[in-house]
Amino acid sequence: MTEQEKIALIEETLEVDEGTLSPETVLEDVDEYDSMTKLGLIVLMDDEFGVKLTGDMVKGFKTVSDILAVMNQKG
Amino acid sequence: MRTLIDFTGKRIIIVGASSGIGKQTAITLSTLGAELILIARREEKLQETMSALEGETHVYYVADISELDHIEALFKKIKDEQGGIDGLVFCAGINATLPLQQLKPDKLKGIFDVNFFAFVETVRQATKRGRFNEGMRIVAVSSNAAIRGDKAHTAYSASKAAMNAAVRCLARELADKKVYVNAIAPAVTNTEIYKQYSERNGEVSDNEKSLLQRQYLGLLETVDVAESIAYLLSPAARMITGITLPIDGGLSTN
Repeated sequence: MTEQEKIALIEETLEVDEGTLSPETVLEDVDEYDSMTKLGLIVLMDDEFGVKLTGDMVKGFKTVSDILAVMNQKG
Repeated sequence: MRTLIDFTGKRIIIVGASSGIGKQTAITLSTLGAELILIARREEKLQETMSALEGETHVYYVADISELDHIEALFKKIKDEQGGIDGLVFCAGINATLPLQQLKPDKLKGIFDVNFFAFVETVRQATKRGRFNEGMRIVAVSSNAAIRGDKAHTAYSASKAAMNAAVRCLARELADKKVYVNAIAPAVTNTEIYKQYSERNGEVSDNEKSLLQRQYLGLLETVDVAESIAYLLSPAARMITGITLPIDGGLSTN
């Protein structure tokens, strides 16, 4: 899966328009990054990448690249 | 002195006996004299439950209850090998936190397969002629979630609401066979699944703190649930059928 495809998955999960996010995007600046989309991210990582995120791991995500880094570990 | 609950000589099946409420129910019922027939997917976990039981007459069957087509053969085998049963506890269940956008049809179906379809099929197979003894009592483990709404719990809540509805209908339908059907609805219970849930979602969900303010007697322990199941399985509950009993630490008084 390319980085662009991974970002597209994150965009779909966070319910933002395509092309909105880049690796540098700061997550707390994204209005849609709330408790529900965080739960969505947990499901996405489990389903697509076999990663079981903990609450602490999600709290540690500051930018999109932090999410990509976990995705890249698994695929 | 009279003992209110005594299952000596009674054969009781527990579906989903490998962990949490199912495991504790097995332990509790064994201390009350029941001869248990345990069913679950993971043999290693089943053996752990077996080693925690009082008495030597218990058996187990390894089966994945979500394989609905296999339930018939399983119950036929149990009848052939163990004889008719006096009680059935359905503890198998999946609890998943799935926001709507992640709730794809296959996920929804996967949860209903275990929480609802497997329950109805289990009762259907257990109540075939010759497979049960008169007065059999069935208890399903439902959830407080069935009557509440919570974000990302559509699948779980709906599956448990479906279970409660089935319990009401089955109670009426099976009364002529002298089979009694009830459910229990625990609120938040201190199980391994709960701990994993807290670990995974605790930091991103602020629901837990407010929930425990409303569930003011505190987290349930599995033994609290198991003892309520024991009551509903016993002749002491002989005039009770078709209900879903809340075990909720005060939650429903809010």
